[in-house]
Amino acid sequence: MTATALLLLLPPIAIFALASRRRLTAVMSMGLLSLILAAVYLLARAPDVAITEAAIGAALVTLIYLLAIRRSGRLSVVCSEVPQLFFREGKRFDGLEHEILAGFAHELGLDLVVSILPHSELREALGRGEAEIAAGGIIPGEQSRSVLCTTGFLPTAVFRITGEGHIPHSHSDVLDYMSDTLDAIRSRRLASCDLDLARFIPVSRLDLTGYTVQRLEGREASYSFLVASDRPDLRDRLTTHIESLKESGELERMIARYLR
Amino acid sequence: MRTSKLAQTTAALVLVACACAIIAFGFSYRGPLDRPNPYLSRATTDTGATNLVAGIYLDYRLYDSLFELLVFSVAVLGVRFYLGTTRQSPNTKAIPESQAVRASADLLFSPILLIGVYLILFGHLSPGGGFSGGAVAGTGLLLCAVALGAETVARRFHSTQLELFEWGALFVVLLLVLIPLIFGLSPFTDLLPRGAPGELLSGGTLLIYNVLIGIKVFVGTWVVISTFIRHRGEI
Repeated sequence: MTATALLLLLPPIAIFALASRRRLTAVMSMGLLSLILAAVYLLARAPDVAITEAAIGAALVTLIYLLAIRRSGRLSVVCSEVPQLFFREGKRFDGLEHEILAGFAHELGLDLVVSILPHSELREALGRGEAEIAAGGIIPGEQSRSVLCTTGFLPTAVFRITGEGHIPHSHSDVLDYMSDTLDAIRSRRLASCDLDLARFIPVSRLDLTGYTVQRLEGREASYSFLVASDRPDLRDRLTTHIESLKESGELERMIARYLR
Repeated sequence: MRTSKLAQTTAALVLVACACAIIAFGFSYRGPLDRPNPYLSRATTDTGATNLVAGIYLDYRLYDSLFELLVFSVAVLGVRFYLGTTRQSPNTKAIPESQAVRASADLLFSPILLIGVYLILFGHLSPGGGFSGGAVAGTGLLLCAVALGAETVARRFHSTQLELFEWGALFVVLLLVLIPLIFGLSPFTDLLPRGAPGELLSGGTLLIYNVLIGIKVFVGTWVVISTFIRHRGEI
């Protein structure tokens, strides 16, 4: 009687394991399946088989799967915080880029793991193999060989702000952290800086007297993601994902939600 | 995209249904009950084992078990042969695991190993045996690999000596099987005394076979996993 009840539990668990998108959930339900099966064997008076099923099915195979998915079950992303695109809210992340990447990770059945890095260190982090994708208002400039680049998902413009009376030509890119950039402009320390649209919007709300703002012409730019050079497959899949978002109009809705 | 997904789901569901049907049929099958099974009455006196399952697969059907062991060895050999040609992966950074996992691995490692050894040693008296006992002990090692990082465990266990153990166990099994030829008996004959059923030192060669098979399975499990780790970075 108990054996029959346990047997009837097996198909739903098996279907749940097949249907669950998260790998850890699938692995755990497979382990549960084996454990229940071992109990069924025990009730059917086959203790030898039950021991083997519990040892191999429930423990050994589950642990092998756990070892296998601990690296491949995550999609690791490094990013620098950018308003609207990728920012932290309490312990959670939000923003347009985060939503695109979260959807991508969900499609692959992976867990998204995000770590924040200064803007200037993103490429190096990819090169060192610390992450697979870099995000955070990246406008791919000259194609470097060390990283791959996806298709752009949002056209943007580059603004150059130059402080008058400061040392000319001490031109810096975006400072490492957005808050540093804002502080530098507030305290009039910043000589010159190129800002993309997402970073320029909060800057434009500051008092910019003493600075000249100029939109750089001829630099048609759009935001995209960087992918580690040893993962061309990942780049292609992310590009496909972005293209399908564009086609379905979903990207348009996301942009409207975050940027307007 | 959508149709292939539907096809995949349908195929999976059909497979699950088939498996359920087979399992249900297996449990409803009671076997021919009209005549008593001769093994049930004879096995303990024949083999000296109180666990009839062990008596059957290590005495009456030792021939089958030997080839089962050879199949396992070929599997281990295949993993080592085909992965040996690929380059060794550079040292990848171990992913730190949570304190809870590490603590529970520390706590569980020795009991699991002990249960494995118990299952091997008492395989001819109670449920267990070399195959399941070796797998349980291998699980203990894998648990350590999950908690400490597989690279650390692989470094601590010296693979070359372990491989020696593995092939040594197989060699001794083959030797034990062939020794009766010297005395003019057919191979697979059990020469050792049966002893009193129920005692640890009983059942002739069953205990020796269980220990050898246990070593073989334990080491083989670990060799497969550590080979994967060394040559692919992770499993």
